[in-house]
Amino acid sequence: MIQLKNISKVYGKTGSQQVTALDHVSLTINKGEFVAIIGTSGSGKTTMMNILGMLDRPTSGEYYFENREVSTLTENERAAIRSKKLGFVFQKFHLLPKTTAVENVELPLIYTDIKDIRHLATEALNKVGLSDRIKHRSNELSSGQQQRVAIARALVNSPELILGDEPTGNLDTKTGLEVVGILQELNKSGKTVILITHQQNIAEHANRIIRIRDGRIAEDRLVENRRNAATEQMNLALVDQ
Amino acid sequence: MIMYKRIFGSGVKFLLRYKLQSFFMILGVMTGVVLLSLTFAMGLGTERQISSKVKDFFGSDNIFIMAGKSIQKGGPRAKGQVTTLKIADLEAILNAVPGVVSFDPVQALPECEIISGGRNISTDVLGRSAEGEAIWNRTVTSGEYFTKADEKSAARVALLGPKIARQLFGDADPVGAQIRIGNVLFMVKGVLEEKGTDPHGNDLDLEVIVPITTLMSRLTNVDYISSAKLEVDGTKTGETTDIISVVLKERHSINEGESDDFLIITPVQVQEMMQKMNKIFSLYLPLISGVVLILGGIIISVVMLMSVSRRFSEIGLRKTVGASSNNLLFQFLTEAVLISLVGGITGLIVGLSGIWFLFAKLGYAFFIPWQTIVFGVLLPVLIGIIAGIIPARKAASLDPVKALA
Repeated sequence: MIQLKNISKVYGKTGSQQVTALDHVSLTINKGEFVAIIGTSGSGKTTMMNILGMLDRPTSGEYYFENREVSTLTENERAAIRSKKLGFVFQKFHLLPKTTAVENVELPLIYTDIKDIRHLATEALNKVGLSDRIKHRSNELSSGQQQRVAIARALVNSPELILGDEPTGNLDTKTGLEVVGILQELNKSGKTVILITHQQNIAEHANRIIRIRDGRIAEDRLVENRRNAATEQMNLALVDQ
Repeated sequence: MIMYKRIFGSGVKFLLRYKLQSFFMILGVMTGVVLLSLTFAMGLGTERQISSKVKDFFGSDNIFIMAGKSIQKGGPRAKGQVTTLKIADLEAILNAVPGVVSFDPVQALPECEIISGGRNISTDVLGRSAEGEAIWNRTVTSGEYFTKADEKSAARVALLGPKIARQLFGDADPVGAQIRIGNVLFMVKGVLEEKGTDPHGNDLDLEVIVPITTLMSRLTNVDYISSAKLEVDGTKTGETTDIISVVLKERHSINEGESDDFLIITPVQVQEMMQKMNKIFSLYLPLISGVVLILGGIIISVVMLMSVSRRFSEIGLRKTVGASSNNLLFQFLTEAVLISLVGGITGLIVGLSGIWFLFAKLGYAFFIPWQTIVFGVLLPVLIGIIAGIIPARKAASLDPVKALA
């Protein structure tokens, strides 16, 4: 599904100011995988995410998405792919202020010709367990609920790939687990998920971990004892009692 | 199509969400449109009012002959320093020039004392002929106009303007009463109909009219007149004017190259004068208001630019989830146009009510100039597009990576 060939990203003009964020990275991700990209800040994982999400272009190298070279496409063409095939979840949620949950979820569909977007948005909110918060405004929701709205927004266009950029970074352990649980559920239902994180325990919910260090892939392994967020949540609940 | 409808809808929602910001942008455009439609309609209304008065005063089949050259153009009363224009000249013109139907000579005695009983008023006394009734299109509401016979015999009869009659006699009928003009006793023969002010602002209802012969022989003791209004065949005023000029030059022994001692004013000249005046009303005043409207556009532009900076992450998000640059361009332009359209239409409503109110106060007939609709609807749309284009382009060109960081 995704193939990176010798992708490099260099920031700054020529000379000593240059910073190499990604250094000849090659990578293949298959449909149905749940990949965690892990690294410390400054390791290049955010750059990786931006390139995978077609928000940024690599300085050199090729990026094939469903066998199509996308790094050379125009901005509007890439916007069209994002609109149809990708779903984004961010660390800071990025919900529109003063706007209801369902309107936030509708946002990606506004820029399509799909009809009855209210129905689709409501369905997506049902999937993340927020059917009773549809008309609540962003500021009336807890941070965990806000991130679930953001996941619903990422789901609403039935994307092939869901990209999470530190989606648990602003959440406590319990709500973080909720969010990872939803991502695991989505993966089970066939979506490809790429999760960027710096937390090892969060990364272990994926079935594959790619560690990035200084712009290179330092480690790429399958997870043997994969964590299950649903079980962890139940255990947490027991401890609380 | 459905996409653009939705983007439009989300623009509407945004503007409703940020009411204060929208309010200021609307206010900017609204102020411009209110001022523009007000000044424009005021200009147009005043112009209409004046032209109807001028038409009343000076029709297309009238020619004015004025004594002297240096008198203010179109002034109805001259001071009479030039003494060469005589009634005999006018009689000669009537006989010699084809197309001249009749004439009414005018001589005025400004600031003259009128006394009746114990009351004393100072006003302008005008001398006119019996033809004046038809030529000036002004008759009497009680009593009767003076006759040719009155004119021949220099009868001491006077016609009072309605305001003068009211001031001297109150509600009583003044016809038949004695008044004194200067030192001469007159009998009131009639009360003139109400005319209001002339285009120069002189109150015609304060006039006292006596036969020209009476004025010349008993009050002013002169044998010249200050001006005359002629009724002519309206189809060939140009030709008629030329012949009158020739006749007068001959009678006044004015040679080629010498300057005339008279001035002929034709409807064409009056129309030119009117057009100059109209320019002030219908061009310069709206121009100033137009500047205000442009200011409104600048307000939209600046507020929207600030709004784009504030909505940095929102725009980044919209791009990330698949909005193309064109979508965002459309969205921001829609917002700008919508805002200025709302401003324009509210401005139009406020402006038109203002026009209605002002016209009612001024006694003008209410009408909606079609241009104000253009100012209120088309112009704001244009201004919205122009004002919105910079912020919209800024939003459209935003890099989502930076916006979401």
